[in-house]
Amino acid sequence: MKGQQMDARRILAEWGVDKYQIIDKEAIQEITLGASILATGGGGDPEIGLLWTYKVIDEGKEIVMIDPMDVPDEVQTASPACLGAALVLTEKPPSEGVLNLAIRRLERYLGRSIQATIPVECGGVNSPVAYAAAGELGVPVIDVDGMNRAFPELQMTSWVTHGVHASPTVSVDDRQNVTVIDTGDDDVLAETLARQAAMAYGGISWIATYPMTGSEVKDASIINSQSIAWAVGKAVMRARREHLDPIEELLSSLRKERQVEGFRVFRGKIVDIHREFGSETSKGFTLGKILMEGIEESRGSTAELDFQNEWLNLRVDGKVRCLPPDLIAILDSETGEPIRTDIMKYGYRGTIVLIPAHERMRTPKGIEMFGPRHFGYDLDYVPVEKMND
Amino acid sequence: MTMAGQLRIGFDVGGTFTDGVLMEGREVLAKAKALTTQDVTGGIINALDEILTQSSIDPAAIAMVSLGTTHTTNAIIERRSLNKVGIFRLGAPATTAIPPLTGWPEDLKTAIGGPEFVHIIRGGSEYDGRDIVPLDEGAIAQACRKMKGKVDSVAITGVFSPILPDHEERAAKTVREVLGDEVHITLSHRIATISLLERENSTILNASVITVMQRAVNSLKDATKERGISAPLFIVQNDGSVMSADYAVDYPIFTVASGPAASVRGSVYLSGIEDGVVVDIGGTSTDVAYIVKGFPRESSITVNIGGVKTNIRCPDLLSIALGGGTIVKHQDEEVNALGPESVGYNLVRLAKSFGGPLLTVHDAAVALDKLQQKLDVFKTDFATQAEEVKALPKKLLENAWAAVKVTVEEAVDKMKTTAEPVPAIFIGGGAMVVPKEGLSGVSEVLSPDHFEVGGAVGTTIAEIGAYAEGVVDLDQEDRDGAIARVTEHAKDNAHAAGAIRETVDVMDVEEIPFTYMPGKREKIRVRVKGKILQ
Repeated sequence: MKGQQMDARRILAEWGVDKYQIIDKEAIQEITLGASILATGGGGDPEIGLLWTYKVIDEGKEIVMIDPMDVPDEVQTASPACLGAALVLTEKPPSEGVLNLAIRRLERYLGRSIQATIPVECGGVNSPVAYAAAGELGVPVIDVDGMNRAFPELQMTSWVTHGVHASPTVSVDDRQNVTVIDTGDDDVLAETLARQAAMAYGGISWIATYPMTGSEVKDASIINSQSIAWAVGKAVMRARREHLDPIEELLSSLRKERQVEGFRVFRGKIVDIHREFGSETSKGFTLGKILMEGIEESRGSTAELDFQNEWLNLRVDGKVRCLPPDLIAILDSETGEPIRTDIMKYGYRGTIVLIPAHERMRTPKGIEMFGPRHFGYDLDYVPVEKMND
Repeated sequence: MTMAGQLRIGFDVGGTFTDGVLMEGREVLAKAKALTTQDVTGGIINALDEILTQSSIDPAAIAMVSLGTTHTTNAIIERRSLNKVGIFRLGAPATTAIPPLTGWPEDLKTAIGGPEFVHIIRGGSEYDGRDIVPLDEGAIAQACRKMKGKVDSVAITGVFSPILPDHEERAAKTVREVLGDEVHITLSHRIATISLLERENSTILNASVITVMQRAVNSLKDATKERGISAPLFIVQNDGSVMSADYAVDYPIFTVASGPAASVRGSVYLSGIEDGVVVDIGGTSTDVAYIVKGFPRESSITVNIGGVKTNIRCPDLLSIALGGGTIVKHQDEEVNALGPESVGYNLVRLAKSFGGPLLTVHDAAVALDKLQQKLDVFKTDFATQAEEVKALPKKLLENAWAAVKVTVEEAVDKMKTTAEPVPAIFIGGGAMVVPKEGLSGVSEVLSPDHFEVGGAVGTTIAEIGAYAEGVVDLDQEDRDGAIARVTEHAKDNAHAAGAIRETVDVMDVEEIPFTYMPGKREKIRVRVKGKILQ
C-alpha cells in the first residue's frame, strides 16, 4: 500500500509537476454530486462509486488530480469505467480488483504502462470510479473527460469527434473473464461488442478504454471537466448548508467556471411516465417520455421530456427548448439533487435547468454523432441559448 | 366494511402521548391518552387500562388488538438492547469493493458486534438466474462455528436474491445446522428490493432489533392475557397495513414508520376518502401525504434509519414548517414570512392570544373567529386574551390568514399527481387554525370526528399489506403471465403475514425496465392487500 501511495507522487515528480489537488472524501463527494447533475438524468447511482472511493481513501491510498496542460505529450493514459445496466450495478457492486485487472490487461495488450486515469464522462458511477481506480493504481487523475455530461454509448465522446478512438478496449468481469476489443477506428462497433460482452457477463462490465497519449488528452478532451463538476457540486453543497437556492448557486458556478449561462426554465412535478421498449429504433436502449405539470411559477404550463437513459429533448407547452448535445437536468428544487431517469417516479417534483454543451461537443462532427438527428429527431440542432433568450 | 360489529383496540405510540381507542365497526366507543413511557410498553398498558375502565366491556369480546409502535426505531436510534448480528453476504468474487457496514456510524457498528462477524461468501446470482459462482456452503459453516455463542441473530444478503432466493435459503439452512434454532435468521429477499447495499443494511438492522420486538410483543401478550383479552395482536407496518405480531417479531424493521402511516390510515378510515391528500397539522409542522386506494403513497427515496441508508418502504411525506404555533413575521400590516420558527408547546406563554409577545398562526385564527371548538392541548380555553388579538389591525390578520392559505395550497399542490381538485382530510391539533374554504386544487376539506386519535384508529383497520417482485424477459415470457406469477407470490406473502388468501386484492403493479440492456427485461412489482384471519 505504501509503495503504491508513493507512485502517483513519483509520477508527478518524474514529469516535473508540482501543481496538484488532493482528492479527499469531501472533494469526491462534491465532484460526484456535480457530475451527477451534469449527467443529465443518466450516469447511474452515485452511491457505489462514492463508497468505493471512500474505501480506497480509508486504506490510506492517496488520490491526486492534475491539470491536463501539465501532462507530458508522450505519456500513456486510459479511462477506467463501468459499462452496462445501471440497475444491475446497484445490485452487484464490483469486486475490488476489477479495474486493476482491466488496466493491467490493457497495458499487456499495448505493451505500455498506464500512467494516469481519465474519467470517461460526468456521471454518478463513472466519475468516482476513475478516482477509485487512480487511488488503487497509484496514478494521478487528469482534469478532463470525454463529454462533460453523460451519454448512453461509448463512442459519443469529444475524443472520437477529435480523432481519438475507443480501441483497444479491455472489458472484464468480477470472475476475471477478459475480453479485448480492438476495432481500429470503428468506434460504433467497439460499443456494440463491449455491450454484448457486458450482457454475456451478467449485465455489467468493467472496462479500460480510450488509451491515449498526453497530447491526445490535451487535443481531444473536455479540458477541466472535473473542475467544472467540482464547482457545480461545491455550489450545491454550499446552498444546502446555507439554505440558499441550489439552482441559483449552480447557475452562478457555471458562469464562474465555464463562462456560460444556464437556464432555469420550468418547475413542476412528474404526472405521467411512458416507457417503451424500442429495440428497433433505439439499438437496444430504453426510450421513454415524461410529462411534467407546472407548479408555482410554472403553473398552467406543461413540459414534455424524452429520454434514452439520459434526457434528450425538452418541450415546454409544445415548444422545443433543448436538443442534444445540450444538457437537461431536473433537480429537486430544495436540495439540488438530480432526478435520474432510472429512479424517477410519478409525483417527483423538480426544477428543469438547461446548460449549453461544451464547445468541443458542438463541432459539426459532434452534432452528427450525438445531435438531434442521431437520436431520431427530424430537427436541426439549435443551441440552447438561441431557444431560451 | 371490515369486521363490522367486532370490538377492536388500537394504540398509537407517539413521542409524548400514547393514544388508545376502542372501536366497534366505525364507531369509537372509548379513547384514551397516556404519557409515553421510556420502555414504550408501560404507556400502552396504561392506555389499555384506561380504555377498559372507561368502557366496561367484556375483555373476552375483543377480537383484535393492534398497535403502531416506536420500539424498534428507538432501539436503533439509541443503540440500545441491539442484537449481536452475524453478517453474511453471498456475492464474492463480486461486491468486495464495498464490504458490509461501509458508511455505518461507528457506535452502531460496535453495538451490533462490528466487523468481526462480517463474511463475504462466494455465491449469489446474476440477474438472469445464473450463479455468479456456486455457493460456498463450507465457508458459511466454518464462519458459523467461529461465531457460535457470540451472535444473537444472523443477516443473510445474496446478490439478486429478490429474484432468486435460492442461495439465501441454502445459506440459512447451513446457519441453522451449525447455530441451532435459538439464533434468528433474517433473509434479505424477505426485507426489501433490488439495491444490494441498502437491502443489506435493512436486513442487518432488522436482525439487530428482533429481540427488542420479541420482548415488546411478549410483554403485550402477557398484559392483554392478564386482563382477560384473548384476541390476537397485530402491529402496523410502514405502509399503514398491519401484520400479525408473530410475523412482526421476524420483521421488526417494517415498523419504523408505523406512526405516520397509521395516522394516514386513520384519516382515510374516519373520512371514508380513499384518494386524496391527508394534511396533518401540528404545533410546529404540517405533514402532507398523498393517499391512493386508502394507503399512503410510498417514498422512492432511500430512508435513513439511525444513520444508515436503507430501502425500506415508507410513506412519502412532505413536511413544511407550518403549525398552530408558527410565528407570523410582519412589518405593520404586511406579512413578511410565516415561521419557520414556532413557539411550539410554549404557545400558552408566548402567543399573543395568551398575553404573550408573539403573533402566531393560532392567534390569527382566534382573532378572525375561526376557532369554534376547544383544542385538546388547552385545559381551559383556546385563548385567554382573545380581545388583545382582536384589537390588531384587520388588514394584518387577513394578510396572515391569506399567507397560511397559500402555504397550505402549495404543499397540497406539490403532493398531488393530478390536475383535478382532490379531497383533503385535515387532522391533527392544528387542523382548526388553517383555512379550509376556497382552497385551490382541493375539492372539499374534511375534518372527521376523533381526528385527535386518528393514528390509534388507523391501527384497527385490519388489512394486511404485502408485495413481491420478479425480473422477466418479455421476449421469453408473456407479460400477463409474468404479472400473474408475481401476483401469486405477493398473495403468498400476504397470507404468511396473516391475511385470508381469498380476500387478497392487487393494489398496484409496477414495471421497471432494465436500462442500458438490449432485449425486453423488466422488473415487475406487485403490491396486494387482504383481510385478517379470524
